[in-house]
Amino acid sequence: MKRLLPAVLALTALLAGGCGMGGSESIESKDKIVIGVRTDLPSVGARMPDGTFEGFDVDVARYIAQKLGKEFEFIPVLAADREKVLLNGKADLVLATYTISQDRKAKVLFAGPYHISYQDILVRPDESSIGNVRDLKGRKICEVKGSNAAQRVVEERKVAASVVPVSDYAACLAALKDRRVDAITTNDVILAGLAIKDGSGLRLVNAQFNEQRTGVGMHKGDVAGCEAVNRAITTMYQDGTASKLLHKWFSKAGLNLSTIAVPQFEGCS
Amino acid sequence: MTAVQTLQAPPGTPAPARRSVPGRIRVISGITVASLALLFAALAAGSTSARDGLTVIGRDAGPQVVATAGLYLGLSDMDAQVADALLMGKEYGTQRQAAIAQYERRRSEANQALLKAFELSGDNPAERQTVQSVLDGLGRYERLAGQALLLDTQADHAAGPPPQKVVEVYRQATDLMRLVLLPQAYNLTLESGTIVRRTYDEKSVMVPAVRFAVIVAGLLALGCLIWLQVFLARRFRRVFGPALLAATVVTIVALVAGVNVLGRDLQELRIAKAYGFDSVLTLARARAISNSLHGDQSRFLLDKGRADTYEHTFLDKSQSVIYLEAGNLDGYQAKVAQGAKHFLGLLGTELGGSDGERALDAYTRFQDADAKFRALAASGQASEAVSARLGTVRESFDAYDKALLNLAEQHEAVFKQATDAGESALDNLWRLLPFAIGGLGLLVIAGVWPRLKEYR
Repeated sequence: MKRLLPAVLALTALLAGGCGMGGSESIESKDKIVIGVRTDLPSVGARMPDGTFEGFDVDVARYIAQKLGKEFEFIPVLAADREKVLLNGKADLVLATYTISQDRKAKVLFAGPYHISYQDILVRPDESSIGNVRDLKGRKICEVKGSNAAQRVVEERKVAASVVPVSDYAACLAALKDRRVDAITTNDVILAGLAIKDGSGLRLVNAQFNEQRTGVGMHKGDVAGCEAVNRAITTMYQDGTASKLLHKWFSKAGLNLSTIAVPQFEGCS
Repeated sequence: MTAVQTLQAPPGTPAPARRSVPGRIRVISGITVASLALLFAALAAGSTSARDGLTVIGRDAGPQVVATAGLYLGLSDMDAQVADALLMGKEYGTQRQAAIAQYERRRSEANQALLKAFELSGDNPAERQTVQSVLDGLGRYERLAGQALLLDTQADHAAGPPPQKVVEVYRQATDLMRLVLLPQAYNLTLESGTIVRRTYDEKSVMVPAVRFAVIVAGLLALGCLIWLQVFLARRFRRVFGPALLAATVVTIVALVAGVNVLGRDLQELRIAKAYGFDSVLTLARARAISNSLHGDQSRFLLDKGRADTYEHTFLDKSQSVIYLEAGNLDGYQAKVAQGAKHFLGLLGTELGGSDGERALDAYTRFQDADAKFRALAASGQASEAVSARLGTVRESFDAYDKALLNLAEQHEAVFKQATDAGESALDNLWRLLPFAIGGLGLLVIAGVWPRLKEYR
């Protein structure tokens, strides 16, 4: 009978645990997880000609999957698809420069953040008059479709920059080099990646104005999975992997890595 | 079902030979004793599990939240006091001394909280490493802060932003504090929340399951006792066996008491978590973030080069406490002033009732004071801005913080009461059990022995 008791309890626990998730399964109970990463951001999340993925987000995703003890598979996501792949169950985790916001939290759960980044400014090597967001007053910056970075300069920081709409970062980069715009502003890691890929010595200003918390998008309700991901991130910072990966991908671009910010977690509930 | 079947079984079986009667008495008694043992084993397992849950939630994780939240507040205020002292300049001599004295006090509080957090982290290696890392960083922070304060004294500047070289040293200090040490303290607080949630989820499955096992074992034991009595009554033509009747009553009492206590504990666990701990944790987080955004006000004034960064973090943190959609700080503060009733963010579900309203009012006044303070800074009135920061802004913040603390203390009381009630119910059960076990043993022997003796 004494042996039977734990067995009965385990069975009950299994049944109750299964019902608790309300349909969507926790990543903790999966053997293999699907992770959505970007394909269009050099050094952050990029697809190689051979179909593999590489970049900071990709390495972090690998680390987390290993710490969780899961097999994993990457699928490509663009900025506009991040929420969709989580809601329709195509991906279990999304690591795709996914900035945590109160609006997004209404639909998806965020583990992490795994990285604290800032909005920053990329300029031509000969540009010496831009050192701060205030210096963008009266200068031309591009506004990439679907990104609110330029708008945040104008509306949130109230700096009267003139905004030039472009379709994507490649077009923005071309415009910067042709002197049709004076600066690109967005997430610093994206800028660092662009500068490294471009290779012509574009300079990151390190103005670090708007702080952005980049988190791991997950299915809403997977609290246990989210906590497990947070523990993996804690370990990533404690064992020095975070610092190593940031240096590996971004130090070449001159991103300020003098203090590696430890992410303050958003909380899983 | 079990009871009924066992009751009907003996008459159905062919009458056994007379000499096997003592054997059968022994067998039935043995089964009865075994089923009683099972009942008490289940009761012991259930109450151990419930006590374990109460201990984790009430004695480990609960105090750990308080300790680590204290650590965060101590650290955060250390940095805020340094920023204030650097802003004051020569005009505020005595207040500058007071700020430095407060810094020292906060440091000693933070050290105590660190020790406590280390002690409570038990054998969790990640938590221990975090505490260690904060301890190391704190030493570096103190050195940098001391340097900044010394340089500032030597600069002998007017109230307002200090010279650039002071700002640069302070930047190193505050970056270490805000970007490395405070997040670790905050995450320690969250980790306690994780531990509580996992324990609670486990116990809310485990305890009802064991409670069910107690009911099954109890009914089985009762069935066996009745079977024994019916058997003896038929064989020996006695209607009553007082000892076994008493044993049945004791079993019923133990069963009912055990099931009740386990049910009660489950309820107290739920109250402790849902109405106590969860709110204590949320309010601790809200206070931590609020304290940090309060520090951002001083840093906004202190470091012109990063004023935009600090204004943004102020808005960002404000929105994580009370979320109202707004594109910039002016828009946010206008919405706060309008008096929003429904909002998201950490405090979204915590500000019900009159005490909650008081906290919301205090927050509204604090944001209003901030708007005025920023207007002064924007118009270049540095000295007036410093005096606003040290006057109305601080007073309104203190009132808001006190309102949150008041709410947190109410939930802490609920939490403590529920844990105490759960534990005392268990204590009572444990006090009763040895008597029940001993008593039952004696009663069963008293009921069976005289019958067996008739065969000697």
